[in-house]
Amino acid sequence: MAKSPKELAEERLARFEAAANLEEPDRVPLWGVSGDIIPAYSGITQYEFNYDYEKAIKAIEKFIKDFPFDFSMAGLAGLEGRIFSIAFSEFPDLSVSLGMITGPMHDILQDKYYRYPGREIEENASPQFIGGTFMEADEYDKLIEDPIGFISDTILKRVCRNLATPRQSMAAMVRLGIEIKKGGDFVAEVGRISAQLGFPAIALGWGYAPLDIIGDFLRGIETVVLDLRRYPEKVKKATEALVEPVINYALTSKMIGAKYAFFPLHLNEYLSPKLYNEFYWPYLKKVILRLLDEGIKSFIFFEGQHEAHLQTILELPRGWGIAYFEKTDIIKAKKLLQGHTCVMGGLPMGLVTGGTPAEIQEYIKKLLDEVKPGGGFILAPGVSTAPAGTPLENISAIIEAVEKYG
Amino acid sequence: MLDELFNKIVDMEEEESINMAKAYLENGGDPQKLLEVCRNAMGVIGDKFEKGEYFLSELILGGEIFGGIMKFTLPLIKGDTKKLGKIVLGTVKDDIHNIGKDIFKAFVEAAGFEVVDIGVDTPAEKFVEAAKAHNPDIIGMSCLITAGLSPMKKTVEALKAAGITDAKIIIGGGRVDEEVKQFAGADAWADDAAKGVRLCKQLMGVEG
Ligand code: B12
Repeated sequence: MAKSPKELAEERLARFEAAANLEEPDRVPLWGVSGDIIPAYSGITQYEFNYDYEKAIKAIEKFIKDFPFDFSMAGLAGLEGRIFSIAFSEFPDLSVSLGMITGPMHDILQDKYYRYPGREIEENASPQFIGGTFMEADEYDKLIEDPIGFISDTILKRVCRNLATPRQSMAAMVRLGIEIKKGGDFVAEVGRISAQLGFPAIALGWGYAPLDIIGDFLRGIETVVLDLRRYPEKVKKATEALVEPVINYALTSKMIGAKYAFFPLHLNEYLSPKLYNEFYWPYLKKVILRLLDEGIKSFIFFEGQHEAHLQTILELPRGWGIAYFEKTDIIKAKKLLQGHTCVMGGLPMGLVTGGTPAEIQEYIKKLLDEVKPGGGFILAPGVSTAPAGTPLENISAIIEAVEKYG
Repeated sequence: MLDELFNKIVDMEEEESINMAKAYLENGGDPQKLLEVCRNAMGVIGDKFEKGEYFLSELILGGEIFGGIMKFTLPLIKGDTKKLGKIVLGTVKDDIHNIGKDIFKAFVEAAGFEVVDIGVDTPAEKFVEAAKAHNPDIIGMSCLITAGLSPMKKTVEALKAAGITDAKIIIGGGRVDEEVKQFAGADAWADDAAKGVRLCKQLMGVEG
């Protein structure tokens, strides 16, 4: 007998939670693909997907209905906006709404961080975060002294053309508020449809590695890497100064009832263990532990190759959260972290776009033989954004393989 | 002194390396010799990276130090610095990641290649134009996002269609592997800069 959507959603949630709690679920949970394939599957452009909520909702619904992964980021709209959340971290009710900057919000702010389809880039290009250098090396002291003030009063004015003067700023903020309401309605509608289709609502909160705030939004990644050698003490103090604002922002996760705080790491792959252990990890660890104190597990996307730093994860208490890996050898990670950390990842996107269904099934079978025993594992693509031309039969093959071998 | 300089570069002493190189030239040192020492140091940094002793942080700084010294050294080298070959290099269309491309550029220049950098988010036509204008031995493409794979293939096709068949094509960046190489129709691939340099030398028929 077919299960009701409610039963299905409960089953999926239980599966996720079992893995997160280092137990063996009924089968291996599957985190799916999303990205460019979603608008492509409905034949709409990226521009429509990013600017027309109704069309986006329909496209998401069609995709998750036809490709029923246990969970995915399909409903996620917008690009990393953490710096705005930090700027508003003294106002938790607003901070929560600025973690992602959507196309319409980008139009209102006229910022230089993002490029959106149908605006700076072609209608069918996927939205881009491009970052840049918005703070000079001799401004570290200002950041150290008053991180929130410096970010809101100086940086955001440089980044956003429409925040340059107080008058522009007033207008932009009012418009932003109106847009946030629309975005909220969109999220609620996607949630409602997901529930109808048997997908659980896993409220995801947020966090960030303090040094990544400087790399992604203030100095630029390459520049901050050089700063670590040129002005090590300044960078360290600035990172320290950002810990509290990041934690305050992360704690707003509680407002949406989140049990997990999802965030990506960017500088991890760049840094030698020496630099990682001195400038990055101690502050990231503080954020993770503080969230854990509040009963929130961190759900961290360790981008790139994290192998050199894997051991440090063992410094955290058992069951602290979920470690989602991109290029790190997943079998090695699972072995090392078995019984301590829930491990996620394992499926190379190159295989999904370039392989055949048979190859994908075979790969998943072999992988699960290695990583399934003992539980605490979630299967996911190393990078979840599937390009527009991804063969649909390959996407279905992932789901079938997990049904069979999970 | 040059030995000491070599060690300083390999040990990532940015300021001291640059000062020492300046002092060497001011005291009448041979810029050609200086160039060689810097190149060798970059080679060792690349090796250390491949062995897992060094990380991207060191590659980026190594590139900075090399570039910093070259700024005042290259103008002093008269006439011919005999290049191993010429490379047109860019990040593929729809992809704006430049760090990996820039690192590769620094290392392949250090190895003795001339590089024409045509930037990021580079459409096929721009690769074709640059190839026509500069007549390179090698065309290098960097690709870090999955969405860059088909533009990469299209670029290779456009180059062939434009009659540019002599130049070898090498691809690099986080998204490439053997499968992608075949898909795109490239001649070689590398997902680390040191390997890329070795392959470029091989493509030129110099031992790598
Ligand atoms: C830094 C970074 C950024 C920075 C880029 C800064 C910059 N100016 O380059 C910022 C924050 C701006 C950014 C933006 C985005 N990014 Co980004 N980014 C990264 C990150 C964290 C590191 C990439 C990097 O620089 N690696 C280090 C370099 C040195 O490695 P590399 O390129 O492989 O280069 C080495 C070798 O490959 C070789 N090499 C490089 N090029 C060449 C060329 C030749 C010819 C040769 C021989 C060798 C060679 O030499 C280098 C040294 O060894 C990765 C995740 C990761 N850790 O890999 C994501 C990642 C690449 N980004 C990703 C995405 C999706 C984006 C965005 C689209 C996000 C968004 N939605 O806005 C935008 C990009 C928009 C676009 N269209 O390009 C995805 C790509 C996923 C995919 N498969 O499509 C990744 C993998 C993150 C993820 N896991 O989701 N990103």
